[in-house]
Parts: sequence; structure tokens; C-alpha cells
Amino acid sequence: MSRNTLGFAFGLAVALVVGWVVFPRVLYVQRAQPFEFRHKTHADKSGVADCGECHAFRDDGAYAGIPPTEKCTGCHSEKIGVSQAEATLVDVYIKPGHEIPWLVYSRQPANVWFSHAIHVKRAGLNCTECHSTYGESDQAKVYQVNRISGYSRDLWGHSISRLHRAPHDGMKMSDCEDCHRNHNVEVGCLGCHE
Amino acid sequence: MVTPVPWKLLDDVSIWSQNWSWIPQPTRGPVEVKRSSCTLCANGCGIQIKMAGGWPVGVAGVARHPISKGALCPLAYGAHQLNWHPQRLTTVRHQASTSSWAAAQAAFSKACSEGTVVILDGHAGRAASTILETFAQKCNGSYRFVPSPEERALAPYQEWSGVATNALGYDLENAQTIVSFGAPLLDGWGTPGRFTRLWAEQAAGKTEPQLRLIQIEPTLSRTAARAWQWIPIREGAESALSSGLASIFIEEGLVSAKYPLPLLTLAEAADQSGVSIESIRSLARTIVARPPVVVIARDANPEIAALNVLLGAIAAPGGIVVKSKRAKPFLPSDSVIGSARAVLIDSSVPWEFVPHTDAEVFRFAAWDGGSNRADWLLPAPGFLEELTDIPTAPTSAIETYAVAPALTQSSSDVRNAVQFLSGIDSTLPSIEKIIRTRCEDLFHQHTGSVYDTEVSPLSKFESVTKFEESLWKGAIWVGVPPDATRFRCELKEWPAPTAPPPPENWTKTWAAPVLPPLASKLYQESSLREPPAGRNS
Repeated sequence: MSRNTLGFAFGLAVALVVGWVVFPRVLYVQRAQPFEFRHKTHADKSGVADCGECHAFRDDGAYAGIPPTEKCTGCHSEKIGVSQAEATLVDVYIKPGHEIPWLVYSRQPANVWFSHAIHVKRAGLNCTECHSTYGESDQAKVYQVNRISGYSRDLWGHSISRLHRAPHDGMKMSDCEDCHRNHNVEVGCLGCHE
Repeated sequence: MVTPVPWKLLDDVSIWSQNWSWIPQPTRGPVEVKRSSCTLCANGCGIQIKMAGGWPVGVAGVARHPISKGALCPLAYGAHQLNWHPQRLTTVRHQASTSSWAAAQAAFSKACSEGTVVILDGHAGRAASTILETFAQKCNGSYRFVPSPEERALAPYQEWSGVATNALGYDLENAQTIVSFGAPLLDGWGTPGRFTRLWAEQAAGKTEPQLRLIQIEPTLSRTAARAWQWIPIREGAESALSSGLASIFIEEGLVSAKYPLPLLTLAEAADQSGVSIESIRSLARTIVARPPVVVIARDANPEIAALNVLLGAIAAPGGIVVKSKRAKPFLPSDSVIGSARAVLIDSSVPWEFVPHTDAEVFRFAAWDGGSNRADWLLPAPGFLEELTDIPTAPTSAIETYAVAPALTQSSSDVRNAVQFLSGIDSTLPSIEKIIRTRCEDLFHQHTGSVYDTEVSPLSKFESVTKFEESLWKGAIWVGVPPDATRFRCELKEWPAPTAPPPPENWTKTWAAPVLPPLASKLYQESSLREPPAGRNS
């Protein structure tokens, strides 16, 4: 084997390792949520059976998104546990009346408009079709932010190659297009970009 | 290339570039949808505005709107982006240098005391128009209206019938053949959504459409490309061709009554227009083949207008109809501008209008279309930044009234002409007060309907306040068409030939158009559409 071939093979191996292993680790950085939140605890102990009880639609049909602190105050006006998360929730956010700065896994760039109302109410999609079973999780998912774009890793999906992904892994424009194609729903540019 | 690095970096960097600090970003916040009327031109298409955190982030049409029926022009779809356009005026400018509102008001007050001022309005009939007119009367000045090409095209009928131009409209919905002499019917003419929707429903893609659009124009414009038939003619030969058509209508008895013959012979018309005699004959027969027919000129042209008289399209369904009994004729502005001490131009007057005068010009504008066109350039509110009412659209066949409230605020110190003049004369009425008065007038008539989420007769409203509230929330009042038969148009002699305007050196006055990025994209893509399969040309 010649020296050039060896050099090429070595360079290729380094490129592959850097590209497929090192790069994804360097590209994303972990950020902590303001405090630990458990969807499962709320479902089990508080009897919250439906996502819409907290992630509600307003009277005008628009999706209200992540519930405001006011919604938590209904049960957590005083501490109802001894965990650090409970103390943070009550002392830092509820009593001073501050909104919780949640890191939103599915937040899209500002030039994208997504209507929950159309997808949930009209198309009848389940929350899990895009958000997986996160609503049943016993632990807040690790939030990974892209150092360059500033958006969550959940938008690209966890596979850097975007191959062999689960249906709910990834929220890029091509994922929206694929889903629309699968459901035979036509959409133009202005459907999402206004 | 065998790793994801270049591809992923390309994607991330493109997203990163959208978030540079100088790129305007919509505020994160509750999203709500408000209904209103577009104020970019006088036609007032129904719009629904998506607001995020109190800022407009998207514009769409209102399907229930009785005139525009959900369609909009490309400019309106991106109108929310216009307020951040690089050409947005943010400071008072005096002869290309920065000045102040106080200095501008002092200069205008001085001009009022030294001589006659002329106030020019581009959207007549608004509450703001009443205030501008009131100010002009109080300071012994003149209030004049700068008509659009669509309004100028209706001017000959005012001369022949005595009915004010702005009281007339086109009953397009009942027409079966529309002959357009260069009017850009599918490219922003009239209420853009009105004809676009009509054409989409009755003609688009059909070999034998219910609505025939014959476009007579020298170039293959966007409208010509989509029309049922395109008749290419020589530049400036529209009058000649209309004379030729009139000759055949009369000679062959294609029209019922006897009318004066045009001065031009058929051979001369063919020679001037570049359309053969046989083609003119064939066109004339095609035009009368499927009535009702209406002829639409691009601008004022009595010879083209006379064709409507011949074809019986005056005061007839599918033709030219009277929509209002209240309108009063407008006076031309040219005669008074020349001797004026100062001219104040409202932001509703388009940049294309340049007053030929030595007077001091105070021009309101939201966007800079060329600072050489005014001594004082005064920054006006942009899209959705000011309250206005929307009277009947110029080409509409029916009377309407709507209100477009200010839904957002400008980030700089902008004022409209009414606020400017109210700073000089505090006794002027407010726009809110005039809107209230107009609502009271309409309410007490008890006629017409209110198009909101559903259509309700005005008589069902309990009070003026309820009616006014619904207008402020985006509803539109639609009147009842007056009796059209009382409108008579007499053509005693064929109009004298209109000389085509001399070619202008447009490069001297051309200014870059103010377009939102979305409009540019939509406009480009509209060129890629296929013309109707069976179009003859």
C-alpha cells in the first residue's frame, strides 16, 4: 500500500470521525430548564388526563401554547412538596408573578407560522404525532441548543444524518412537507411563511 | 463531503443569518387575528391581519368580503413588511436635509398667510378628506382631488351625463364580455381582488369561458397573457381602433340605435392601429356576440368611452352604473396649482403625481419615492398605523363603507396631514368624530347590509354604537344600488380624436418601487403561471 493511499485513508478516517462523531457533540450544547418538570406526575397525581387541559386553545380558537404561570398558581400557590423544583417554582416565579422562561423544544424560527388549531382541530392529529410521548415522561427532556442557529436540536432531529428517524423526530420544513404529502394535503409557501 | 459538516453548517448558517440584530423580528407573544380593510390604495380590500405581540406578522384576504371576496394583490399580502422597508421615511426632510415638525408647520403657516394654498388628496371621500377640505376653505385655499387612471377613465361619462365620476362604477359581475383597452385588469386594476376572483371563477383555464376578456394592448402584458383574446395594436392607437370598431357597429347594424359616425374612416383606423380591416370587423362581431358588454379604458379616453354608449352599456346590467346619489364632481387641480403659494400633498397621492408648479411643496409620504419631488418631505404613518375610513372603491358598482383602525404604532415620529393641520388649526374636527357622524347618517337611512362574520341587514342593528363597533372590528356596510335607469348618457357627436400623450423620458422621474420582499416573490411566481389553454391571439 503506497504512502499516498495510507495518507488518504487516514485523512478520510479523521474526517469521518470528526464529521459524524465530534461535530454533532460540538455543535450542540445542553441547557438546563428553569427547574425540573414532570408531565407524568401531573397526569398521575393531579388527574390531568388531556394535554389540552394545560396547553389549551383560547376562546377564539387560537392555540395558547405553554401555559402561563397563572395556570400553575391554581395548585401551587403554596409549596406542595419539598423538592428543589417546587421551591423554585413557588419562590422564584409564582409569588413574584414572573413567567417561567421555559426552553421550548419545538420553537420555530420567526418566519414560520404553525397553526395548532388547524392541525389538531381540523386535521385531528394527536399531540404525539409531532411531540412523541413527551407528555407522559417522568423527566424533562435534555434541551440541546444549536450553537450557530440558536434553535433546539429537536427541529433537526437527533440523527445528524436525518436518516432512519422516528416519525416525530425532527420538525424541519421537509418533515412538514412529508407529512402533508402522506396525508394528501396540499400546501403553498404562504401556508407557513407569511 | 462524506460527512454532514458542510450540509449541516449551510443549514445552520442560513438560519443564523435570519436572526442578525438588524433584521426586524416579530415580537413573541399571543397571536390574534384582526379584520380590517387594506389602506394601500383607495379600493379597500378586506384583510385579516395576524398580530403577534401586538405587531402585524401576516396579511390574508377575507373570504366573506363582498367586493374582494378573499383575494388580494401581491402588495397587500406583504404589506405588513412595508413598515420596515429601507425607504421608510422616519424624519422630516427639508430640501434633502433633516428638519423638524415644528419647522415644517411654521413654514406651512407662513405660506398660508402669504398666499393661496392647495391641498391635494388621493383618496377622496374619507373622513380625512373632509378635514383637508375644511382647512382649505378656512384659509381661502383650494382642495383638489388627484384621480387615479381608473377614475379618469370614467371622466367622459361625467361630461356627457352630468353624473359625477366618483358616482359611477363598472358592473363587472353581470358582464359577459369585457373589452379592455390596456387596463391592467389582472394586474392591480380597480379593487384587485374583485376582478381576479371573478376571472378565476368564470374564465381561468376555460376554453369557452363564461366571462370573455378581450385585451387590446401593444404588449403582451400579464393581463393580455391571461385574457381570452389579445389584440396587439400599435402604441397609442387605441382611439383609432375604437373609431374603427364604432364604424363597423354602426355600418353593420350591430348596435340598435343611430349614432354619429366617427371622424376616422375604417381604412384610416386600420392603418393607424396596425389591425387589418377584416380583423377589426371580426373583433366587432366577437364583441357584440355575447352581451352584456362593457369597454374599459386604461385612462381618460372619450373615444373608448363612446363605445359603451354605442353598445348600450350605460345604465345597464353588466355596464356602467350609478352607485351613489351623494357623490359630487371633482374639480381639476391643474388650474389652481400654478398660482399657489404652497401645495400640500396628502400621503394618499401616489408618487407618480408631480405638481408642475413653483410653489413650496409639502409632501406627506410613508415611503421615500424620490426627495426631489418636494421641498418638504413629511413622514406619514405606514400600513395599519393610522385610523381611516374606507369609502366606496372607485370602480365599484355599489356603495360601501368601512373603517380601518390603527392596529399598530410607528417606531418613529410620524404624522398624517390631518394631524399636521390640526397642529396649526386646533378647531378642525377629528377623524373619529366624522366617522361617527357618517355612521349615524348611514344608520338613520336603514338601508343596506353589514358584512361581518355573517350578513345582517342594517335595520337589525339596535343602535348607531353597535353598528359603529362592528365597523371598527372589520365589518363592511354595503348599500343598495340606486335606480340605474335615471342615468342617461347622450352622445351628440363622436368625440374628437385624443392625441396620445407624448413619450416621456421616464428615467428622469423613475424611483425604485417600494415593494415588500413577499410581493416581489409572488409577483415573480405569477409570471410562471400557464395562460388559459384555449386563448386566441
